Amino acid sequence: MRLSSSTLFIFCITSLKFLVLFLIYKILFPIPLRILGIKIYGRKHLSTQKQFILVANHNSHLDTMSLLSSIPLDLLAKTHPVATSQYFGRKKFLVLLSNFLVNTVLIQRKEDEQPTPEGQTEKSNALELLEKKLAQGHSLILFPEGTRGQPEQMQDFRKGIGVLLQKFPNIPYIPVYIQGMGKILPKDSLLPVPFDASVSIGTAKFAQNENIVEIVEEVRREILNLKD
Amino acid sequence: MLHFQMNEIQKMLAVIGGVLVFATLLFWIWAKLKPSNLVTEMMLRTKSWWVMASFFVTAALVHPLISFAAFAFLSFLALRELSSISKNARTEDRSIVFVAYLAIPIQYFLAYMAWHNAFLMFIPVFMFALIPFLLVLRGQTQDIARSMSVIPTHLMLTVFSISHLAYLLSFPDLKGFEVGGRGLLLYVVFLTEMNDVFQFTWGKLLGKRKIIEKISPNKTWEGFIGGLLSTIAAAYFLRFLTPFSDGVALLCGLLIACTGFVGDTIVSAIKRDFGLKDTGTLIKGHGGILDRIDSLVISAPFFFYFVYLLYY
Repeated sequence: MRLSSSTLFIFCITSLKFLVLFLIYKILFPIPLRILGIKIYGRKHLSTQKQFILVANHNSHLDTMSLLSSIPLDLLAKTHPVATSQYFGRKKFLVLLSNFLVNTVLIQRKEDEQPTPEGQTEKSNALELLEKKLAQGHSLILFPEGTRGQPEQMQDFRKGIGVLLQKFPNIPYIPVYIQGMGKILPKDSLLPVPFDASVSIGTAKFAQNENIVEIVEEVRREILNLKD
Repeated sequence: MLHFQMNEIQKMLAVIGGVLVFATLLFWIWAKLKPSNLVTEMMLRTKSWWVMASFFVTAALVHPLISFAAFAFLSFLALRELSSISKNARTEDRSIVFVAYLAIPIQYFLAYMAWHNAFLMFIPVFMFALIPFLLVLRGQTQDIARSMSVIPTHLMLTVFSISHLAYLLSFPDLKGFEVGGRGLLLYVVFLTEMNDVFQFTWGKLLGKRKIIEKISPNKTWEGFIGGLLSTIAAAYFLRFLTPFSDGVALLCGLLIACTGFVGDTIVSAIKRDFGLKDTGTLIKGHGGILDRIDSLVISAPFFFYFVYLLYY
């Protein structure tokens, strides 16, 4: 069998990406995150799972960084934080960077949908992209608040998590409550200041409800249950 | 016959090790015979004493550069913890809190170089001006006095005070006193911690009259007096670590017992203000460093100047 050059290229890129993710999240980041004051609880709940949707509240870019650093190495390349293309898709190199260094899936939030230059409104394919990843056996990190918001205030959840869990009832969700991160590195700030913060990872659960709105409610409740 | 002469530091290590092993065995047997909440708590405390003792003994014995780094890190952890539990500084002032963190390496550098005047002035004079002025430059006067008072106080409690422990290692050699700063460091830390233990034990045995019930319900006059006398006795027996004469050692024991008590109650009161004492459980992300060093916060600088003014 002959290896075509494009297969070889993809192989190289994939292993390079794996190496980069390993270096960043397993070697480079853990100690600085710990020094900034971030403690991660319940990491063991991740090691028993093969595929999951991590659902967390969102206050800071450090949320994504600390969650990725707690993902087991064998799942790291197959776990994608979901980010908005409105934020990370502004420039070509940002797309490339977030894909390569953070392993993101970029989606468009409903409110950010804009007519394309050709004049037609682009249909939101946000969830399709995520469903494709899940169907491939990959995992997601989802922040249903959609944005980082004010420090220590949880906003309403969007429906996406409900849709995904309804469509994939065999994939568990893992609730995560993140506290204090908005003080270390809030929105609109580039200067991280050390403060105590915690990431509490809960146990994997399958959605108990079938209705989308009820699933969203359930997930929100499970996240808040981890609060104290 | 094998003749083995221990030097002062080795003697002190034997004392510390002896106390820890004794406490560990005592509570272990006690828990086997008569389990209770008190014993469980004491076993947990003993565990944290092991950690603390290892930290301070290592810091006293390794190369001074590593010791200074370790103490600076201790200050950092304490400042991080205090800034995190404190609700008094405005959250928007986080950039100023960052400046407060920057004071740590500078203060410890001054201690390492043994530039005494600069070391003494840096936080109470320079940072005391810089932090309020930076707050002024931010231009928001609403609640500014809160941040102005809280951030410099945090620096004093966690950086200024603890850096005095490190500075002990920079003391020049005295004639006829070979142990030097390492001995002084072990002396003040050990006595301050033992004073806590003595006060606690005497309080449990005899305690009736509360001193300040609202701040520390466990603190009683009987415990305080018993602790004071025990600490004075310990200060006398351990004076081989210091250049003290008998009388000075007794006086120093009195000083450490009183200042240890003062530091303990100050930190207790702060924690009570933020509702941390009543819960009894450790808040998530809350490391509990302050609980370990609360008594040292006041006793370290007082001991430092006591020695400094008398001998250096």
